[in-house]
Amino acid sequence: MLEVQDLTKRFGANVAVDGLSFKATPGRVLGFLGPNGAGKTTTLRTLLGLTLPTSGSATVDGRPYRELEDPVRVVGAVLEGPQFHPGRTGRNHLRVLAAAGGLPASRVDEMLRLVELNGAGNRRVKGYSLGMRQRLSLAGALLGDPRALVLDEPANGLDPQGIRWLREFLRAQASEGRTVLVSSHVLAEMAQTVDEVLVISRGRLVAQGTLDELTHGVEAPIWVRSPEAERLRAALAAREGVDAKPPETGGGWLEVRGATLEDVGTTAAENGIPVFELYRPRQSLEQVFLELTAGTEAGR
Amino acid sequence: MIRLVGAELLKLRTTRTFWALAGSAVGLVLVIVVLTLAIDDQLNTQRDVRDLLSVAGLSGLLTLVLGVVVGAGEYRHGTIASTLLVTPNRLRAVAAQVIACFLGGLAIASAAVALELIIGLPWLSSKDVLMPSAGDLAGDLLGGILYAGLAAALGTALGALLRNQVAAVVSILVLIFVLEPTLNALVGGVAPFTLTGLGAAMSGASGDDNSDLLSPGVAALIWACYASLLAVFAAIRTAHRDI
Repeated sequence: MLEVQDLTKRFGANVAVDGLSFKATPGRVLGFLGPNGAGKTTTLRTLLGLTLPTSGSATVDGRPYRELEDPVRVVGAVLEGPQFHPGRTGRNHLRVLAAAGGLPASRVDEMLRLVELNGAGNRRVKGYSLGMRQRLSLAGALLGDPRALVLDEPANGLDPQGIRWLREFLRAQASEGRTVLVSSHVLAEMAQTVDEVLVISRGRLVAQGTLDELTHGVEAPIWVRSPEAERLRAALAAREGVDAKPPETGGGWLEVRGATLEDVGTTAAENGIPVFELYRPRQSLEQVFLELTAGTEAGR
Repeated sequence: MIRLVGAELLKLRTTRTFWALAGSAVGLVLVIVVLTLAIDDQLNTQRDVRDLLSVAGLSGLLTLVLGVVVGAGEYRHGTIASTLLVTPNRLRAVAAQVIACFLGGLAIASAAVALELIIGLPWLSSKDVLMPSAGDLAGDLLGGILYAGLAAALGTALGALLRNQVAAVVSILVLIFVLEPTLNALVGGVAPFTLTGLGAAMSGASGDDNSDLLSPGVAALIWACYASLLAVFAAIRTAHRDI
Protein backbone atom coordinates (compact mmCIF):
# COMPACT_ATOMS: atom_id res chain seq x y z
CA MET A 1 0.00 0.00 0.00
CA LEU A 2 1.16 3.52 -0.80
CA GLU A 3 0.36 6.09 1.85
CA VAL A 4 0.91 9.81 2.09
CA GLN A 5 0.22 11.34 5.48
CA ASP A 6 0.08 15.10 6.16
CA LEU A 7 2.76 15.59 3.53
CA THR A 8 4.12 19.09 3.13
CA LYS A 9 6.95 20.05 0.80
CA ARG A 10 8.33 23.55 0.52
CA PHE A 11 10.85 24.81 -2.00
CA GLY A 12 11.99 28.02 -0.36
CA ALA A 13 8.90 30.18 0.08
CA ASN A 14 6.91 28.10 -2.38
CA VAL A 15 4.64 25.44 -0.87
CA ALA A 16 4.45 22.67 -3.46
CA VAL A 17 2.49 20.19 -1.33
CA ASP A 18 0.42 21.31 1.63
CA GLY A 19 -0.72 18.76 4.20
CA LEU A 20 -1.70 16.14 1.65
CA SER A 21 -2.97 12.74 2.78
CA PHE A 22 -4.20 9.75 0.80
CA LYS A 23 -3.82 6.01 0.41
CA ALA A 24 -3.53 3.86 -2.67
CA THR A 25 -4.65 0.31 -1.99
CA PRO A 26 -3.89 -3.00 -3.70
CA GLY A 27 -6.10 -4.08 -6.56
CA ARG A 28 -7.18 -0.57 -7.49
CA VAL A 29 -6.05 2.13 -9.89
CA LEU A 30 -5.90 5.51 -8.18
CA GLY A 31 -5.85 8.46 -10.57
CA PHE A 32 -3.95 11.52 -9.44
CA LEU A 33 -5.22 14.73 -11.04
CA GLY A 34 -4.37 18.36 -10.73
CA PRO A 35 -3.45 21.35 -12.86
CA ASN A 36 0.13 22.15 -13.78
CA GLY A 37 2.09 23.03 -10.67
CA ALA A 38 -0.49 21.47 -8.34
CA GLY A 39 2.16 19.31 -6.67
CA LYS A 40 1.51 15.93 -8.32
CA THR A 41 5.05 15.27 -9.44
CA THR A 42 6.51 16.49 -6.15
CA THR A 43 4.18 14.16 -4.27
CA LEU A 44 5.10 11.17 -6.41
CA ARG A 45 8.83 11.92 -6.22
CA THR A 46 8.55 12.21 -2.44
CA LEU A 47 6.77 8.87 -2.32
CA LEU A 48 9.70 7.44 -4.29
CA GLY A 49 12.31 8.89 -1.96
CA LEU A 50 13.72 11.28 -4.56
CA THR A 51 12.45 14.38 -2.81
CA LEU A 52 12.65 14.87 0.92
CA PRO A 53 9.43 15.89 2.70
CA THR A 54 9.47 19.11 4.71
CA SER A 55 7.02 17.46 7.11
CA GLY A 56 4.69 14.48 7.11
CA SER A 57 5.46 11.16 5.52
CA ALA A 58 5.18 9.17 2.33
CA THR A 59 5.52 5.43 2.72
CA VAL A 60 5.41 2.19 0.79
CA ASP A 61 4.08 -0.73 2.80
CA GLY A 62 4.58 1.39 5.89
CA ARG A 63 8.23 2.27 5.21
CA PRO A 64 9.89 5.21 3.50
CA TYR A 65 11.07 4.23 0.03
CA ARG A 66 14.68 4.82 1.01
CA GLU A 67 14.40 2.06 3.61
CA LEU A 68 13.13 -0.59 1.20
CA GLU A 69 15.60 -3.43 0.88
CA ASP A 70 14.60 -4.57 -2.58
CA PRO A 71 12.75 -1.61 -4.08
CA VAL A 72 12.58 -2.85 -7.68
CA ARG A 73 10.41 -5.74 -6.55
CA VAL A 74 8.18 -3.47 -4.48
CA VAL A 75 7.55 -0.37 -6.58
CA GLY A 76 7.98 0.30 -10.28
CA ALA A 77 8.03 3.93 -11.32
CA VAL A 78 7.72 6.01 -14.43
CA LEU A 79 8.81 9.59 -13.93
CA GLU A 80 8.44 12.70 -16.03
CA GLY A 81 11.54 14.22 -17.55
CA PRO A 82 14.76 12.80 -18.98
CA GLN A 83 16.07 9.64 -17.38
CA PHE A 84 18.09 7.97 -20.10
CA HIS A 85 21.63 8.37 -21.32
CA PRO A 86 21.00 9.30 -24.96
CA GLY A 87 23.96 7.27 -26.18
CA ARG A 88 22.91 4.05 -24.46
CA THR A 89 20.63 1.60 -26.20
CA GLY A 90 17.23 0.78 -24.78
CA ARG A 91 18.31 -2.78 -24.07
CA ASN A 92 21.46 -1.65 -22.29
CA HIS A 93 19.46 0.83 -20.20
CA LEU A 94 17.33 -2.07 -18.98
CA ARG A 95 20.38 -4.31 -18.55
CA VAL A 96 21.88 -1.73 -16.19
CA LEU A 97 18.68 -1.56 -14.14
CA ALA A 98 18.41 -5.35 -14.06
CA ALA A 99 22.03 -5.73 -12.98
CA ALA A 100 21.67 -3.15 -10.22
CA GLY A 101 18.43 -4.71 -9.02
CA GLY A 102 19.77 -8.26 -9.06
CA LEU A 103 17.25 -9.32 -11.69
CA PRO A 104 17.87 -11.98 -14.33
CA ALA A 105 18.97 -10.61 -17.70
CA SER A 106 16.13 -12.57 -19.32
CA ARG A 107 13.69 -10.03 -17.85
CA VAL A 108 15.14 -7.38 -20.15
CA ASP A 109 13.97 -9.03 -23.34
CA GLU A 110 10.69 -10.04 -21.73
CA MET A 111 9.97 -6.42 -20.88
CA LEU A 112 11.08 -5.16 -24.29
CA ARG A 113 8.61 -7.59 -25.85
CA LEU A 114 5.88 -6.57 -23.42
CA VAL A 115 6.17 -2.89 -24.33
CA GLU A 116 6.66 -3.80 -28.00
CA LEU A 117 10.15 -2.35 -28.21
CA ASN A 118 11.94 -5.60 -28.97
CA GLY A 119 12.67 -4.38 -32.50
CA ALA A 120 14.23 -1.16 -31.22
CA GLY A 121 16.11 -2.49 -28.21
CA ASN A 122 19.51 -2.17 -29.85
CA ARG A 123 18.96 1.40 -30.98
CA ARG A 124 20.34 4.32 -28.99
CA VAL A 125 17.74 6.10 -26.92
CA LYS A 126 18.47 9.44 -28.60
CA GLY A 127 16.79 8.00 -31.68
CA TYR A 128 13.62 7.08 -29.80
CA SER A 129 10.36 8.99 -30.13
CA LEU A 130 8.69 10.32 -26.98
CA GLY A 131 6.29 7.41 -27.07
CA MET A 132 9.13 4.90 -27.33
CA ARG A 133 10.84 6.52 -24.35
CA GLN A 134 7.63 6.21 -22.37
CA ARG A 135 7.43 2.53 -23.26
CA LEU A 136 11.05 2.09 -22.22
CA SER A 137 10.26 3.79 -18.91
CA LEU A 138 7.37 1.40 -18.43
CA ALA A 139 9.63 -1.54 -19.23
CA GLY A 140 12.04 -0.33 -16.57
CA ALA A 141 9.24 0.06 -14.06
CA LEU A 142 8.07 -3.50 -14.66
CA LEU A 143 11.48 -5.18 -14.62
CA GLY A 144 11.20 -6.31 -11.02
CA ASP A 145 7.55 -7.41 -11.34
CA PRO A 146 6.72 -4.97 -8.53
CA ARG A 147 3.71 -5.02 -6.23
CA ALA A 148 2.94 -1.35 -6.87
CA LEU A 149 3.26 1.04 -9.77
CA VAL A 150 3.74 4.79 -9.49
CA LEU A 151 3.36 6.40 -12.88
CA ASP A 152 3.73 10.10 -13.57
CA GLU A 153 2.04 11.02 -16.86
CA PRO A 154 2.69 7.61 -18.44
CA ALA A 155 0.43 8.38 -21.41
CA ASN A 156 2.60 11.32 -22.54
CA GLY A 157 3.67 10.78 -26.11
CA LEU A 158 1.77 7.54 -26.58
CA ASP A 159 -0.30 7.19 -29.72
CA PRO A 160 -3.98 6.11 -29.45
CA GLN A 161 -3.02 2.45 -29.70
CA GLY A 162 -0.40 2.97 -27.02
CA ILE A 163 -2.87 4.71 -24.73
CA ARG A 164 -5.34 1.89 -25.19
CA TRP A 165 -2.59 -0.62 -24.49
CA LEU A 166 -1.65 1.32 -21.35
CA ARG A 167 -5.25 1.40 -20.15
CA GLU A 168 -5.68 -2.33 -20.55
CA PHE A 169 -2.28 -2.90 -19.02
CA LEU A 170 -3.05 -0.83 -15.91
CA ARG A 171 -6.42 -2.52 -15.48
CA ALA A 172 -4.71 -5.91 -15.76
CA GLN A 173 -2.09 -4.90 -13.21
CA ALA A 174 -4.75 -3.84 -10.73
CA SER A 175 -6.78 -6.98 -11.33
CA GLU A 176 -3.71 -9.00 -10.39
CA GLY A 177 -3.73 -7.26 -7.03
CA ARG A 178 -1.14 -4.57 -7.66
CA THR A 179 -1.46 -1.05 -6.34
CA VAL A 180 -1.47 1.48 -9.18
CA LEU A 181 -1.09 5.22 -8.65
CA VAL A 182 -1.13 7.16 -11.89
CA SER A 183 -1.11 10.85 -12.68
CA SER A 184 -2.28 12.05 -16.06
CA HIS A 185 -3.61 15.02 -17.93
CA VAL A 186 -5.53 12.81 -20.33
CA LEU A 187 -8.75 13.04 -18.35
CA ALA A 188 -10.93 11.09 -20.75
CA GLU A 189 -8.39 8.29 -20.59
CA MET A 190 -8.24 8.45 -16.81
CA ALA A 191 -12.02 8.18 -16.67
CA GLN A 192 -11.79 4.84 -18.46
CA THR A 193 -8.90 3.53 -16.41
CA VAL A 194 -9.14 4.48 -12.77
CA ASP A 195 -11.23 3.13 -9.91
CA GLU A 196 -10.76 6.17 -7.76
CA VAL A 197 -9.67 9.74 -8.35
CA LEU A 198 -7.67 12.13 -6.25
CA VAL A 199 -7.74 15.79 -7.26
CA ILE A 200 -5.23 18.25 -5.87
CA SER A 201 -4.86 21.93 -6.42
CA ARG A 202 -2.16 24.23 -5.02
CA GLY A 203 -0.76 21.23 -3.19
CA ARG A 204 -3.98 20.51 -1.35
CA LEU A 205 -6.49 17.73 -1.72
CA VAL A 206 -9.71 19.13 -3.19
CA ALA A 207 -11.58 15.92 -3.91
CA GLN A 208 -11.21 12.17 -3.59
CA GLY A 209 -13.61 9.43 -4.46
CA THR A 210 -14.77 6.97 -7.06
CA LEU A 211 -15.63 8.33 -10.47
CA ASP A 212 -19.35 7.93 -9.69
CA GLU A 213 -18.98 9.83 -6.46
CA LEU A 214 -17.12 12.65 -8.13
CA THR A 215 -19.19 12.96 -11.26
CA HIS A 216 -22.42 13.00 -9.25
CA GLY A 217 -21.00 15.15 -6.52
CA VAL A 218 -21.08 18.28 -8.58
CA GLU A 219 -24.65 19.36 -9.28
CA ALA A 220 -25.34 19.45 -12.99
CA PRO A 221 -28.27 21.40 -14.50
CA ILE A 222 -31.35 19.65 -15.85
CA TRP A 223 -32.20 20.10 -19.48
CA VAL A 224 -35.80 20.09 -20.64
CA ARG A 225 -37.26 20.71 -24.11
CA SER A 226 -40.84 21.78 -24.60
CA PRO A 227 -42.86 23.53 -27.33
CA GLU A 228 -44.09 25.81 -24.53
CA ALA A 229 -40.72 26.59 -23.04
CA GLU A 230 -41.60 30.06 -21.82
CA ARG A 231 -44.71 28.83 -19.94
CA LEU A 232 -42.72 26.02 -18.44
CA ARG A 233 -39.96 28.46 -17.41
CA ALA A 234 -42.50 30.63 -15.61
CA ALA A 235 -44.05 27.62 -13.87
CA LEU A 236 -40.64 26.38 -12.72
CA ALA A 237 -39.50 29.84 -11.64
CA ALA A 238 -42.53 30.00 -9.36
CA ARG A 239 -41.07 27.12 -7.32
CA GLU A 240 -38.80 28.13 -4.49
CA GLY A 241 -35.09 27.91 -5.21
CA VAL A 242 -35.54 26.89 -8.83
CA ASP A 243 -33.76 28.78 -11.57
CA ALA A 244 -34.82 28.09 -15.16
CA LYS A 245 -33.58 29.94 -18.19
CA PRO A 246 -33.34 29.29 -21.91
CA PRO A 247 -29.88 28.81 -23.38
CA GLU A 248 -28.64 31.23 -26.05
CA THR A 249 -29.24 28.61 -28.68
CA GLY A 250 -32.97 28.50 -27.81
CA GLY A 251 -34.67 25.61 -29.57
CA GLY A 252 -37.28 25.20 -26.86
CA TRP A 253 -34.69 24.15 -24.32
CA LEU A 254 -34.51 25.26 -20.70
CA GLU A 255 -31.55 24.89 -18.32
CA VAL A 256 -32.91 24.24 -14.86
CA ARG A 257 -31.00 24.44 -11.59
CA GLY A 258 -32.19 23.82 -8.06
CA ALA A 259 -34.73 21.15 -9.01
CA THR A 260 -34.90 17.40 -9.42
CA LEU A 261 -36.04 15.59 -12.54
CA GLU A 262 -39.22 14.73 -10.66
CA ASP A 263 -39.82 18.41 -9.83
CA VAL A 264 -39.59 19.44 -13.48
CA GLY A 265 -41.76 16.57 -14.73
CA THR A 266 -44.42 17.14 -12.09
CA THR A 267 -44.50 20.89 -12.73
CA ALA A 268 -44.94 20.32 -16.44
CA ALA A 269 -47.73 17.77 -15.85
CA GLU A 270 -49.54 19.97 -13.35
CA ASN A 271 -49.56 22.82 -15.86
CA GLY A 272 -50.45 20.68 -18.85
CA ILE A 273 -47.22 21.52 -20.63
CA PRO A 274 -45.95 18.91 -23.07
CA VAL A 275 -42.34 17.84 -22.60
CA PHE A 276 -40.32 16.25 -25.42
CA GLU A 277 -37.02 15.72 -23.62
CA LEU A 278 -35.99 15.80 -19.98
CA TYR A 279 -32.62 14.72 -18.59
CA ARG A 280 -29.74 15.59 -16.30
CA PRO A 281 -26.44 15.00 -18.11
CA ARG A 282 -23.80 13.16 -16.15
CA GLN A 283 -20.77 15.36 -15.50
CA SER A 284 -17.67 14.24 -17.30
CA LEU A 285 -14.47 13.85 -15.32
CA GLU A 286 -13.12 16.79 -17.26
CA GLN A 287 -16.02 19.00 -16.19
CA VAL A 288 -15.61 17.94 -12.58
CA PHE A 289 -11.87 18.54 -12.76
CA LEU A 290 -12.28 22.00 -14.25
CA GLU A 291 -14.90 22.99 -11.66
CA LEU A 292 -12.80 21.70 -8.76
CA THR A 293 -9.63 23.39 -9.92
CA ALA A 294 -11.17 26.51 -11.47
CA GLY A 295 -8.80 29.46 -11.41
CA THR A 296 -5.88 27.51 -10.04
CA GLU A 297 -4.14 26.37 -13.21
CA ALA A 298 -0.57 27.49 -13.26
CA GLY A 299 -1.49 29.68 -10.40
CA ARG A 300 1.25 28.77 -8.06
CA MET B 1 27.80 -3.85 -3.39
CA ILE B 2 29.41 -6.16 -5.96
CA ARG B 3 26.11 -6.15 -7.83
CA LEU B 4 25.97 -2.37 -7.86
CA VAL B 5 29.58 -2.02 -8.97
CA GLY B 6 28.84 -4.50 -11.76
CA ALA B 7 25.89 -2.39 -12.87
CA GLU B 8 28.02 0.75 -12.80
CA LEU B 9 30.71 -0.96 -14.87
CA LEU B 10 28.02 -1.94 -17.35
CA LYS B 11 26.97 1.71 -17.47
CA LEU B 12 30.54 2.68 -18.28
CA ARG B 13 30.91 0.07 -20.98
CA THR B 14 27.67 0.96 -22.70
CA THR B 15 28.43 4.60 -23.47
CA ARG B 16 30.76 6.03 -26.09
CA THR B 17 32.28 8.48 -23.58
CA PHE B 18 34.17 5.72 -21.84
CA TRP B 19 35.52 4.23 -25.04
CA ALA B 20 36.40 7.64 -26.46
CA LEU B 21 38.37 8.64 -23.36
CA ALA B 22 39.97 5.21 -23.11
CA GLY B 23 40.99 5.42 -26.76
CA SER B 24 42.32 8.94 -26.24
CA ALA B 25 44.38 7.87 -23.23
CA VAL B 26 45.88 4.87 -24.97
CA GLY B 27 46.42 6.83 -28.18
CA LEU B 28 48.14 9.68 -26.35
CA VAL B 29 50.54 7.33 -24.62
CA LEU B 30 51.20 5.50 -27.87
CA VAL B 31 51.96 8.71 -29.77
CA ILE B 32 54.36 9.97 -27.11
CA VAL B 33 56.23 6.66 -26.88
CA VAL B 34 56.51 6.21 -30.63
CA LEU B 35 57.56 9.80 -31.29
CA THR B 36 60.10 9.79 -28.48
CA LEU B 37 61.63 6.52 -29.64
CA ALA B 38 61.69 7.66 -33.24
CA ILE B 39 63.07 11.16 -32.71
CA ASP B 40 64.90 11.40 -29.40
CA ASP B 41 68.59 10.49 -29.76
CA GLN B 42 69.35 11.40 -26.14
CA LEU B 43 67.59 8.36 -24.75
CA ASN B 44 70.46 6.65 -22.99
CA THR B 45 70.15 6.29 -19.25
CA GLN B 46 67.92 4.16 -17.06
CA ARG B 47 66.28 7.40 -15.91
CA ASP B 48 65.45 8.30 -19.52
CA VAL B 49 63.79 4.95 -20.07
CA ARG B 50 61.80 5.18 -16.83
CA ASP B 51 60.63 8.66 -17.74
CA LEU B 52 59.58 7.49 -21.16
CA LEU B 53 57.64 4.47 -19.97
CA SER B 54 56.03 6.38 -17.13
CA VAL B 55 54.06 8.42 -19.69
CA ALA B 56 51.29 5.87 -19.18
CA GLY B 57 50.65 7.92 -16.06
CA LEU B 58 49.41 10.66 -18.37
CA SER B 59 46.26 8.62 -18.79
CA GLY B 60 45.52 9.69 -15.21
CA LEU B 61 44.51 13.13 -16.41
CA LEU B 62 42.04 11.64 -18.86
CA THR B 63 40.65 9.17 -16.34
CA LEU B 64 40.20 12.10 -13.96
CA VAL B 65 38.08 13.79 -16.62
CA LEU B 66 36.29 10.50 -17.28
CA GLY B 67 35.33 10.28 -13.62
CA VAL B 68 34.06 13.85 -13.56
CA VAL B 69 32.00 13.28 -16.71
CA VAL B 70 30.52 10.06 -15.33
CA GLY B 71 29.76 11.45 -11.86
CA ALA B 72 28.15 14.65 -13.10
CA GLY B 73 26.67 12.94 -16.17
CA GLU B 74 24.13 11.15 -13.98
CA TYR B 75 22.60 14.54 -13.26
CA ARG B 76 23.02 15.90 -16.76
CA HIS B 77 21.10 13.03 -18.32
CA GLY B 78 18.69 12.48 -15.43
CA THR B 79 19.81 8.88 -14.98
CA ILE B 80 20.40 9.62 -11.30
CA ALA B 81 16.66 9.14 -10.72
CA SER B 82 16.73 5.61 -12.17
CA THR B 83 19.89 4.87 -10.20
CA LEU B 84 18.35 5.97 -6.91
CA LEU B 85 15.07 4.19 -7.56
CA VAL B 86 17.00 0.93 -7.75
CA THR B 87 19.50 1.90 -5.05
CA PRO B 88 17.78 4.28 -2.63
CA ASN B 89 20.75 4.19 -0.26
CA ARG B 90 22.64 7.12 -1.70
CA LEU B 91 25.91 6.35 0.05
CA ARG B 92 25.95 2.94 -1.61
CA ALA B 93 24.99 4.45 -4.95
CA VAL B 94 27.84 6.98 -4.88
CA ALA B 95 30.31 4.41 -3.54
CA ALA B 96 29.46 1.93 -6.31
CA GLN B 97 29.99 4.58 -8.94
CA VAL B 98 33.33 5.67 -7.46
CA ILE B 99 34.57 2.07 -7.25
CA ALA B 100 33.44 1.31 -10.79
CA CYS B 101 35.26 4.35 -12.15
CA PHE B 102 38.35 3.37 -10.15
CA LEU B 103 38.27 -0.02 -11.86
CA GLY B 104 37.61 1.63 -15.22
CA GLY B 105 40.62 3.90 -14.69
CA LEU B 106 42.78 0.91 -13.82
CA ALA B 107 41.64 -0.85 -16.98
CA ILE B 108 42.40 2.13 -19.22
CA ALA B 109 45.87 2.64 -17.77
CA SER B 110 46.58 -1.09 -17.91
CA ALA B 111 45.77 -1.05 -21.62
CA ALA B 112 48.05 1.97 -22.12
CA VAL B 113 50.89 0.30 -20.22
CA ALA B 114 50.47 -2.97 -22.06
CA LEU B 115 50.60 -1.20 -25.40
CA GLU B 116 53.66 0.88 -24.55
CA LEU B 117 55.48 -2.22 -23.35
CA ILE B 118 54.57 -4.18 -26.45
CA ILE B 119 55.84 -1.38 -28.67
CA GLY B 120 58.49 0.21 -26.47
CA LEU B 121 60.49 -2.71 -25.08
CA PRO B 122 61.56 -4.26 -28.38
CA TRP B 123 62.31 -0.81 -29.76
CA LEU B 124 64.38 0.12 -26.72
CA SER B 125 66.28 -3.16 -26.98
CA SER B 126 67.15 -2.39 -30.55
CA LYS B 127 68.51 1.03 -29.49
CA ASP B 128 70.89 -0.55 -27.07
CA VAL B 129 69.98 1.71 -24.15
CA LEU B 130 70.61 0.89 -20.51
CA MET B 131 67.38 -0.61 -19.19
CA PRO B 132 66.22 0.01 -15.60
CA SER B 133 65.75 -2.89 -13.26
CA ALA B 134 62.53 -4.87 -13.57
CA GLY B 135 61.62 -3.80 -10.03
CA ASP B 136 61.96 -0.09 -10.78
CA LEU B 137 60.06 -0.44 -14.02
CA ALA B 138 57.27 -2.47 -12.44
CA GLY B 139 56.98 0.07 -9.61
CA ASP B 140 56.62 2.95 -12.06
CA LEU B 141 54.10 1.18 -14.24
CA LEU B 142 51.96 -0.17 -11.41
CA GLY B 143 52.08 3.25 -9.78
CA GLY B 144 50.88 4.82 -13.02
CA ILE B 145 48.03 2.35 -13.28
CA LEU B 146 47.02 2.97 -9.67
CA TYR B 147 47.20 6.72 -10.28
CA ALA B 148 44.81 6.44 -13.23
CA GLY B 149 42.34 4.45 -11.14
CA LEU B 150 42.48 6.81 -8.19
CA ALA B 151 42.20 9.81 -10.50
CA ALA B 152 39.01 8.38 -11.98
CA ALA B 153 37.64 7.76 -8.48
CA LEU B 154 38.38 11.31 -7.36
CA GLY B 155 36.87 12.71 -10.55
CA THR B 156 33.68 10.71 -10.03
CA ALA B 157 33.28 11.95 -6.49
CA LEU B 158 33.86 15.53 -7.61
CA GLY B 159 31.33 15.14 -10.44
CA ALA B 160 28.72 13.72 -8.06
CA LEU B 161 29.38 16.58 -5.67
CA LEU B 162 29.20 19.42 -8.21
CA ARG B 163 26.63 17.78 -10.56
CA ASN B 164 27.33 20.17 -13.42
CA GLN B 165 29.61 18.47 -15.94
CA VAL B 166 31.12 21.61 -17.41
CA ALA B 167 31.64 23.25 -14.04
CA ALA B 168 33.22 20.09 -12.66
CA VAL B 169 35.62 19.61 -15.59
CA VAL B 170 36.60 23.29 -15.56
CA SER B 171 37.08 23.18 -11.77
CA ILE B 172 39.46 20.26 -11.87
CA LEU B 173 41.46 21.69 -14.78
CA VAL B 174 41.73 25.09 -13.08
CA LEU B 175 42.84 23.35 -9.90
CA ILE B 176 45.57 21.39 -11.64
CA PHE B 177 46.82 23.95 -14.13
CA VAL B 178 46.24 27.25 -12.29
CA LEU B 179 45.69 26.90 -8.56
CA GLU B 180 48.26 24.22 -7.81
CA PRO B 181 51.15 25.93 -9.64
CA THR B 182 50.20 29.21 -7.97
CA LEU B 183 50.05 27.55 -4.58
CA ASN B 184 53.40 25.86 -5.18
CA ALA B 185 54.94 29.21 -6.02
CA LEU B 186 53.54 30.92 -2.95
CA VAL B 187 53.75 28.23 -0.29
CA GLY B 188 56.81 26.08 0.19
CA GLY B 189 56.48 22.38 0.90
CA VAL B 190 52.94 22.05 -0.41
CA ALA B 191 53.85 20.65 -3.84
CA PRO B 192 54.12 16.97 -2.80
CA PHE B 193 50.57 17.08 -1.47
CA THR B 194 48.95 18.61 -4.57
CA LEU B 195 47.21 16.36 -7.09
CA THR B 196 50.04 17.00 -9.53
CA GLY B 197 52.66 16.11 -6.96
CA LEU B 198 50.85 13.00 -5.82
CA GLY B 199 50.27 11.87 -9.40
CA ALA B 200 53.94 12.35 -10.25
CA ALA B 201 54.96 10.44 -7.15
CA MET B 202 52.69 7.52 -8.01
CA SER B 203 53.61 7.26 -11.67
CA GLY B 204 57.30 8.05 -11.27
CA ALA B 205 56.90 10.67 -13.99
CA SER B 206 59.38 13.07 -12.44
CA GLY B 207 61.86 10.42 -11.55
CA ASP B 208 64.21 10.33 -8.61
CA ASP B 209 65.57 13.78 -9.31
CA ASN B 210 62.71 15.40 -7.48
CA SER B 211 63.44 14.50 -3.90
CA ASP B 212 60.40 16.48 -2.68
CA LEU B 213 57.99 13.86 -3.94
CA LEU B 214 56.42 11.46 -1.50
CA SER B 215 56.94 7.75 -1.86
CA PRO B 216 54.43 6.17 -4.29
CA GLY B 217 52.66 4.28 -1.51
CA VAL B 218 52.17 7.35 0.66
CA ALA B 219 51.10 9.39 -2.36
CA ALA B 220 48.51 6.75 -3.27
CA LEU B 221 47.26 6.69 0.30
CA ILE B 222 46.87 10.47 0.42
CA TRP B 223 45.14 10.55 -2.98
CA ALA B 224 42.81 7.78 -1.82
CA CYS B 225 42.00 9.90 1.26
CA TYR B 226 41.22 12.91 -0.96
CA ALA B 227 38.96 10.76 -3.14
CA SER B 228 37.26 9.15 -0.13
CA LEU B 229 36.63 12.52 1.50
CA LEU B 230 35.11 13.89 -1.69
CA ALA B 231 33.02 10.74 -2.08
CA VAL B 232 31.70 11.08 1.48
CA PHE B 233 30.86 14.75 0.87
CA ALA B 234 29.16 13.79 -2.38
CA ALA B 235 27.15 11.05 -0.68
CA ILE B 236 26.09 13.35 2.16
CA ARG B 237 25.10 16.09 -0.28
CA THR B 238 23.24 13.58 -2.44
CA ALA B 239 21.42 12.19 0.59
CA HIS B 240 20.07 15.63 1.46
CA ARG B 241 19.34 16.72 -2.06
CA ASP B 242 16.04 16.65 -3.93
CA ILE B 243 16.44 14.82 -7.21
